[in-house]
Amino acid sequence: MEQEPNGERMLVENANARSQSIWIQGYSPRTLWRSVFREDRLFLILSVFIGVFAGLAVVCFRFAIDWARLYLLGTGVALTPARMLLAPALAGLLIAVLVIHFFPAARGSGVNQTKAALYIFNGNIPFKTAVGKFITSALAIGSGHSLGPEDPSLQIGACIASALGREMRLERDRMRLIAPVGAAAGLAAAFNAPISAVLFVIEEVIGRWTAGILGSVVLSAVSSVVVMRWFLGSESLFRIPPVELKRPAELIAYATLGVIGGLASVAFASGIAWLRPICKALPRWTQYLQPALAGLLIGIIGVLGAPQVMGAGYEYIDQAMHGQFTWEFLAILAGLKILATMLSFVSGTPGGMFAPTLFVGAMLGAAVGGAQHALLPHLSGSAGTYALVGMGVLFAGFLRAPMTSVFMVLEVSGNYSIIVPVIVANTFAYVISRALQPTPIFDLLTHQDGLQLPSMEEQREENILRVEDAMQPVEGPVLDAEKTLEDAMKMLDHSEIEQLLVRLSPAGWGSVSKEQLLTMANRGNGTTTLGALLPITPVPYLHPDHPLETALRYVDRWPLVPVVNRADFRKLEGVVTQRDVLERYREFGEG
Amino acid sequence: MASDIIARWRFNLRRRPVMLAALTVLAIVFFLAVTGLSQVHQAQRRAIGERWFSRGIADLNAKRFAVAVTDFRAALLYSPDDYSYQLNLAEALIGEGQRGQALAYLINLWEREPENGIVNLELARIAAQQGQTNDAIRYYHNAVYAVWPADRDTMRRDARLELIELLLRIGAKPQAQGELIALEEGVGPDPDQQERVGGLFLRADDYEHALSAFSTVLKSDRHNAAALAGAGYAAFALGRYPEGRHYLQAAIAANPDDTTSQERLKTTQLVLQMDPFRRQIPIAERDRIVVQAFQTAGERLRNCKLPTGTTSAGSVTPSLSDKWERLNPQITEARLRRNPDLVETAMDLVFRIEHEASAACGSPTGADLALLLISNMHEGS
Repeated sequence: MEQEPNGERMLVENANARSQSIWIQGYSPRTLWRSVFREDRLFLILSVFIGVFAGLAVVCFRFAIDWARLYLLGTGVALTPARMLLAPALAGLLIAVLVIHFFPAARGSGVNQTKAALYIFNGNIPFKTAVGKFITSALAIGSGHSLGPEDPSLQIGACIASALGREMRLERDRMRLIAPVGAAAGLAAAFNAPISAVLFVIEEVIGRWTAGILGSVVLSAVSSVVVMRWFLGSESLFRIPPVELKRPAELIAYATLGVIGGLASVAFASGIAWLRPICKALPRWTQYLQPALAGLLIGIIGVLGAPQVMGAGYEYIDQAMHGQFTWEFLAILAGLKILATMLSFVSGTPGGMFAPTLFVGAMLGAAVGGAQHALLPHLSGSAGTYALVGMGVLFAGFLRAPMTSVFMVLEVSGNYSIIVPVIVANTFAYVISRALQPTPIFDLLTHQDGLQLPSMEEQREENILRVEDAMQPVEGPVLDAEKTLEDAMKMLDHSEIEQLLVRLSPAGWGSVSKEQLLTMANRGNGTTTLGALLPITPVPYLHPDHPLETALRYVDRWPLVPVVNRADFRKLEGVVTQRDVLERYREFGEG
Repeated sequence: MASDIIARWRFNLRRRPVMLAALTVLAIVFFLAVTGLSQVHQAQRRAIGERWFSRGIADLNAKRFAVAVTDFRAALLYSPDDYSYQLNLAEALIGEGQRGQALAYLINLWEREPENGIVNLELARIAAQQGQTNDAIRYYHNAVYAVWPADRDTMRRDARLELIELLLRIGAKPQAQGELIALEEGVGPDPDQQERVGGLFLRADDYEHALSAFSTVLKSDRHNAAALAGAGYAAFALGRYPEGRHYLQAAIAANPDDTTSQERLKTTQLVLQMDPFRRQIPIAERDRIVVQAFQTAGERLRNCKLPTGTTSAGSVTPSLSDKWERLNPQITEARLRRNPDLVETAMDLVFRIEHEASAACGSPTGADLALLLISNMHEGS
């Protein structure tokens, strides 16, 4: 966060002082009552409620997925071929009818819909969307479609938050931000990882760090996780094996995993980017059949020997982490999961991509770890460590959330010794994915849907213009307030500068024009000091590292704004004028 | 305009507390509803899990390991943290030969309950099979002092027996002896266990304890062939040849097919016959034995080509032949009778020849072995 410049700092201090005096002088239950229900505090209280309701909804969502699985696929791990083929196909038909006729907004993962609520619909998401998302996603995931519950949970949380915000008649700015607050709550409860959820929402939905929203997001995420753990326990989604980095040389293997993960992410994203418009362009009646056909194809994959790709697949991530598959089979599973998820997603079946991403990452990671163990048994750590790192790799490469990807692995594993492999592998994956697939998957989907939502990746990497980019060196003399008017006039004899800066005593800056000085001299004030003659209104000053937009607040009122050193406010680094600022923006706009 | 703002502000102020109160009530209601739903859900999952677990136990008992693995995996879908489901899955995996997967589950279980005997024992077995001896010994020790759900003493004893077997396999005999002594205290007078312990003492080269264990067995069953053979071997190894002969003769009588005991008895009898230093031996008999021993040693020297120039115990080997040749004319019964000091000189050379030949040409048999054992017996006394 940027530091407030001098002028604003004074205003804020005054405001604080005022509010403090009100508090001290006018303390009463009524004041307290008003204070509690002030918009910002109410927003915090509401965040807790959002977390509680989102947590309850996510718990119910998990139950619904479970029941759908039990009744559609059966109770055992060895599924019968008939169920594998029929359950996702028939569920696909029902889902298509529900989505086309009743819940059109339930389509997709839910992340972009939440972003759209923030940037297009002023935070409004119809509650019907939550109902639709709940029913259709539970059916899809429970019947074996290759999708996950996290993104739908995120959207359900956002819907609940939006409904509560509407009921509380929040101001427009707060209302806009309420959907991400709910999104964080939903995601945190679904993933049992509050830090990752907060980071993801900040990184991928809101796109900026502000203290105001951060508190609410954290509160809602934590309260939803507390509720979820109350009902479902605090265990992680998978058993975390002992994590270790045997030798620094093993980082080469993690870098290889990063490269492979990056390429897999590109293949995954490109596949969706290529196939989704084709499916969307097909005649409308085919939309009734697309989820069913996708389900049938996934069922065929299951019958042919890879039922692991059906559903969210957390139990298989757990098995991969504990070395229960050969590395060859793990690699095949990763490829088939990409295919299955692509089919489910492009057919318009509601459901999330988090779980499939983690699945693919874990399988790839464990495969790389297994292959390395076969080649260099003394060098490599456990397959579980590679699987964990692999999950982060796909998160960084496919979802393009680099910071979340690192913290997600740390939070899930609860082990900070894994941080170096995670950073190495994720960096490779992210860089490769960026180079080969410039548009992130969420932006790609938004563009395909005809929306222009801000790209969080672009925002993160945007160049920020600063005051130092526009400031100019000081031309002409700088006057001291202790000097007399005569001295100042002498200094100005040979200067053509019209506006001068005056260094005030003991601190601060003032400004005076040559014309004003001449007028004062004509009045016979030659021996009087400038400090005594000049009006006392100080000129606000800036620092070189301030964003350039901060300068815009002052340059129209003051023709010359001093830019001073942060360590010594009397030391002038340069000056900035309205013309300089606009010129710099023009150059920047021209690229 | 200002009145509108005030009205809206008042409206919100009144509305918001009511809304928050309503939300609180709603949250409590939903919480209770989800609690009910959760109980139904958990009960259903528990029931399904139990059903799969029962099937798994039946399949495990019937040694249908692959099916048992599937059953237990299904059970774990519904109670992923159930200790007993995981433990049985690990056992089924071991039965199916998937030790790596079993290990993953067992380590997880060990982290939850490091004092669990079954888990420690299974981990020890896997570590032993994978050649991770230190880990195996650690887990076996844990198992010996662990908490066992039932029949604690038997389980601990069996764990210790497995540990001893491992120690003997890797040649850690002193450690094995220590464990055996600890084991013996817990075994009691049970003849079968004492016989097993005696056998292990023999393998650990602790003949005194072995003889004691076999003696305990023989107190309750004096015709136990295995115990008699074991006791005979222990006595033989301790150099107590008369006692050894007694046990070995009884062992052969109890089990005439016991060729090992027959061989051992033959050697024992040779030792007893060929020892010229035994008490109350007539002079003539002693001299005859010395002459026979000297000739046996000479034969051994001729059959065993000791490498020229090699040194052993500070003496050059060819000189043994020279010494034997030089002494040979003097070693007659008449000369020995006249000069009893020659008995010591002759037997000293005989023992040296047998030791040198044994080191150069391998373990002797028959009379040579008997002479070597006699030498060892008198060196020790």
